Amino acid sequence: MSNTTPEPEDLKRLGKRLEEVRQRESAKAPASPPTSMGIAFRFAAEMMSGLLVGGGMGWGIDWALGRLFSIHTRPVFLIVFFVLGAAAGIRNVMHAAKELNEQSAAAMNAAPSVKDDEEER
Amino acid sequence: MNPMEQFEIHPIVPLHIGGYDVSFTNQSLLMCIVVAAASLFLTLSVSKNRLVPSRAQSMAEMSYEFVANMIQSAAGHDGLKFFPFVFTLFIFVLFSNFLGLIPGSFTVTSQIAVTFSLAAVVILTVLIVGFARHGLGFLKLFVPKAPILLLLLLVPIEIISFLTRPISLSVRLFANMLAGHTMLQVFAGFVILLGGAGGVLSVLSIAPMFLIVAIMLLELLVAFLQAYVFAILTCIYLNEALHLHDHH
Repeated sequence: MSNTTPEPEDLKRLGKRLEEVRQRESAKAPASPPTSMGIAFRFAAEMMSGLLVGGGMGWGIDWALGRLFSIHTRPVFLIVFFVLGAAAGIRNVMHAAKELNEQSAAAMNAAPSVKDDEEER
Repeated sequence: MNPMEQFEIHPIVPLHIGGYDVSFTNQSLLMCIVVAAASLFLTLSVSKNRLVPSRAQSMAEMSYEFVANMIQSAAGHDGLKFFPFVFTLFIFVLFSNFLGLIPGSFTVTSQIAVTFSLAAVVILTVLIVGFARHGLGFLKLFVPKAPILLLLLLVPIEIISFLTRPISLSVRLFANMLAGHTMLQVFAGFVILLGGAGGVLSVLSIAPMFLIVAIMLLELLVAFLQAYVFAILTCIYLNEALHLHDHH
């Protein structure tokens, strides 16, 4: 038994230091790098789901208009929404690519940089 | 040797209620096993509750911490309210993927019906949380900063891109599982074909055998990674619903 009781200030300082360490640790927490196949599947899924949803929505609108209001627009909405779906798919893929870029950039920064001798000369 | 045969669903206890086929199938059986295994593992491993954890206890604690950290980094502090939801999803997908890798068993997550149901639950949760938090202001998610004329084009694209989420979420998990297990089966078929060919070819059949071991290791990684991806995307979507910041 030690006779020095911990001061509240000491505890506070310890808490602050713990918080700092925790933040530093979480900043460099390595996000598990996706495999190449994972990336390929991701892009394919994004693009395909864009086309599917766009085409499906267009087809559905055509169907609903024809069936419920007997306005025959058959291919018009399908075509328009298929193109919109393609745009959405491409947007999603660009988004995913940007995310992956940021991830790998963060991983590069986290790794200790090695000075390149060639560059300096 | 049909590589797709492993994904077939057979009824174990045929059951028909009101014209619907609700038979207890191999799929249902594996789902029950997954839930039972996960619950048993998580409850038994922490039942002793020692200060210095045993191996099983530290595994359970690590998975808990892993998911908690993931939510905190992706959805912030108030995302932790959804910890039970995300943790359940993560553990269910993880256990289904791992148990599906046992030879002779069945992969629950290789069925699009299952993965799409999970994704639909995620998106419905996001919608409910978003509208409950922000009311109609949640619809601002679909309006990017752009000139009015461009908005005519951009808003439908944003809406479609939101609607693609449950599909890309489910298709990614399902396609990864389907592709991996089909690949394993195809290479296993090579072993049998070469082995039965006789002579030098029989000796060569050891080559695809090694390949299967390698693919199996890759599949273990994929099984974990896909559960991780499913959970982290859930967190990201929840984050948008909670904080509604423009993600551009």
